[in-house]
Amino acid sequence: MEAAISGTLKQLFETRLHSAMRLYLDTCARCGVCVEACHVYASMPQARYTAVGRAEVIRKIFKRYFKLEGKIAPWLGEVLTLDDATMDQVSDAAWSCTGCRRCMTFCPFGIDTQLIMSIAKALLIGADKEPKLLTMLADMSIAKSEGIEETKPGFTRAVEDLAPEIRALWPHSKDPVVTVEAEGADVLYVALAGKHSIIPAAAIMNAAGERWTLSVYEAVNFAAFLGDSKKMQLIARRIHDEAVRLKVKEVAIVECGTAFRAMKYMTGVHPFKVVAFVQLISRYLREGRIQLSKGTLKGTLTYHDPCQIARNGGVLEEPRHVIRHLTADFVELRPNRADNWCCGGGGGLVALGESDFRMKSARVKAEQMKASQAAIISTACENCHSQLTDLNEHYGLGMKVEFLSKLVADALMK
Amino acid sequence: MSAQAGADAVSAASAAAAAATTTDATSAASSAVAHTGFALVVDHIDYIIMVPLVYVSILALLVGIVWRVVTIMRSAPPPYPLRLYPAARNAGLAALGDTFAMPQVRRHRPVFWVFLMLYHAAFILLILGHLDIIPQLRLLPAGSRHMLGAGAVGVAVTLPLLFFLLRRLRSPLREISVPSDYLLLLLLLFLFLFGDMMSWGNSWSPNGFVMTKQAFSKYFDGLSRLTFADPRAVLPGSHYHFAVIHVLLAESFFVLLPFSKIMHTFFSMPINLLRRR
Repeated sequence: MEAAISGTLKQLFETRLHSAMRLYLDTCARCGVCVEACHVYASMPQARYTAVGRAEVIRKIFKRYFKLEGKIAPWLGEVLTLDDATMDQVSDAAWSCTGCRRCMTFCPFGIDTQLIMSIAKALLIGADKEPKLLTMLADMSIAKSEGIEETKPGFTRAVEDLAPEIRALWPHSKDPVVTVEAEGADVLYVALAGKHSIIPAAAIMNAAGERWTLSVYEAVNFAAFLGDSKKMQLIARRIHDEAVRLKVKEVAIVECGTAFRAMKYMTGVHPFKVVAFVQLISRYLREGRIQLSKGTLKGTLTYHDPCQIARNGGVLEEPRHVIRHLTADFVELRPNRADNWCCGGGGGLVALGESDFRMKSARVKAEQMKASQAAIISTACENCHSQLTDLNEHYGLGMKVEFLSKLVADALMK
Repeated sequence: MSAQAGADAVSAASAAAAAATTTDATSAASSAVAHTGFALVVDHIDYIIMVPLVYVSILALLVGIVWRVVTIMRSAPPPYPLRLYPAARNAGLAALGDTFAMPQVRRHRPVFWVFLMLYHAAFILLILGHLDIIPQLRLLPAGSRHMLGAGAVGVAVTLPLLFFLLRRLRSPLREISVPSDYLLLLLLLFLFLFGDMMSWGNSWSPNGFVMTKQAFSKYFDGLSRLTFADPRAVLPGSHYHFAVIHVLLAESFFVLLPFSKIMHTFFSMPINLLRRR
């Protein structure tokens, strides 16, 4: 690696050294309590797949360039110099971590490995070694906002074509069944690219008599996976500006964990409330605005807590409240809630493909699903849904994988 | 009067008498000989270790800690909240609980937790035990031959340390450990063992260690009053070098602490607040 590039990477590293990062890099005692927290290590027991193993790659670079120890006695901490071999280790660490933060619940200090991996991802971007697919997807999201006026009519027509499918779930939907960027709405619903993320949600909100409108943007924030904070802010900013322009009270994020966490917690304070869609469903049930039929589900149901919504987003009990209205035949995964195993598809791995690694590294998740003996596994995250579907097929679990919103929409009492 | 104080009172007279005779006799030979050549050099090194370096290392410790804490405090705040859920009702109390009770370790590694709790509690007692040696800060009766805990505190820091060292030799901890992890443990182990020899000798052997607690008290008194007197005058006997090595290891620990992971002593609370707040 050229000296100029390693110099740039060092500067890039330094820009990430805020107080929390310094604490995380300085405090680890390498006690090893976090070792079994990671689903990747639990499935493929190698030290490089432990939370501490990944963080140590970054910590050793930190020691080399920012600590006295790295200058006078580099052997003490086995420091790493920024070169091509080190960047391979950085890449391995960054892209074997799904950012689920389960290790944080094990660590006696609460060290956030996902945050440390944001340095790894920044270094990879700086060295032009990041996965180009994610960069392209993030850039496309940003570019979309620049040409949005040209695509809006086509998007609106496509959404209007969904009316029959929405009416099939909720026949009492009034015209227009879906509005796009309508002023005066209370709720701005931000979906994903794909009608599966619009139809059930539209039926539920129409059934609740909600004054809602659809965002022209997709909720997913690929830059959050990429660890590119500037692009993450730009992507979130599009939705922020749209919500402010429409004067909505609330932005409801589609079932997508990273989109929810990025919008609610990682992109500053907004003048509107940000909720996960499952929270909205729970509220409708609590307020009696929708009723569900308990007879629609056949077989035992279980629920997978998406990491970014549950452990990292605080949405732990609302899904269970919704499920209690759906069925009495429910069984929890063990462990569950904040302790739940990551599905193994987060951190951009599903978007990147990485099928072989995802299947091998989530063996423990497949075992957890199987042990539940449930017929249906529901979740509230697009990434998790894709990964659970792949696991179900790969390990021959014979389960049905469903979005919670889809189960609710199917059970709406007409 | 506590059992220990009672025992202390009984033992004080015999210890004093024994000290008066035994140590005088022991030290007489060494102190009567006029040191020359290499022995004189060693005397000078001993003095530097036992007096000036004590102040230098304590100063380095304090400056180092302040510098490290200020570096963190002057850094930019994190870009977004880092908390985990479910959120605690009182973030401060929860972080205090995390810091001092380590519930995460108790849940996932109960045996390790027992040793960790024992070690940390004993380490606090160890600090108090050393403060007790300073005459002005005395916690135990003046005539007591015992360190605080009568040797038990030494056991309670040394055994867990051995456990920490041995568990680090096993996979996967071995793979994630770096040389400084072992060296730090070895430094502490030898620091404790030298201290243990003196403490256990005074508490557990009939004649006590060559240097009594009262002798160490005089040394500490000189240090606290900045007399710069040669401790050899109050610490008799050829076992003096046990004390010198113990002090040298302690000084090394003081100097290294601000640059080591032992800064978790000061960072544990703020870092735990990050996931709770």
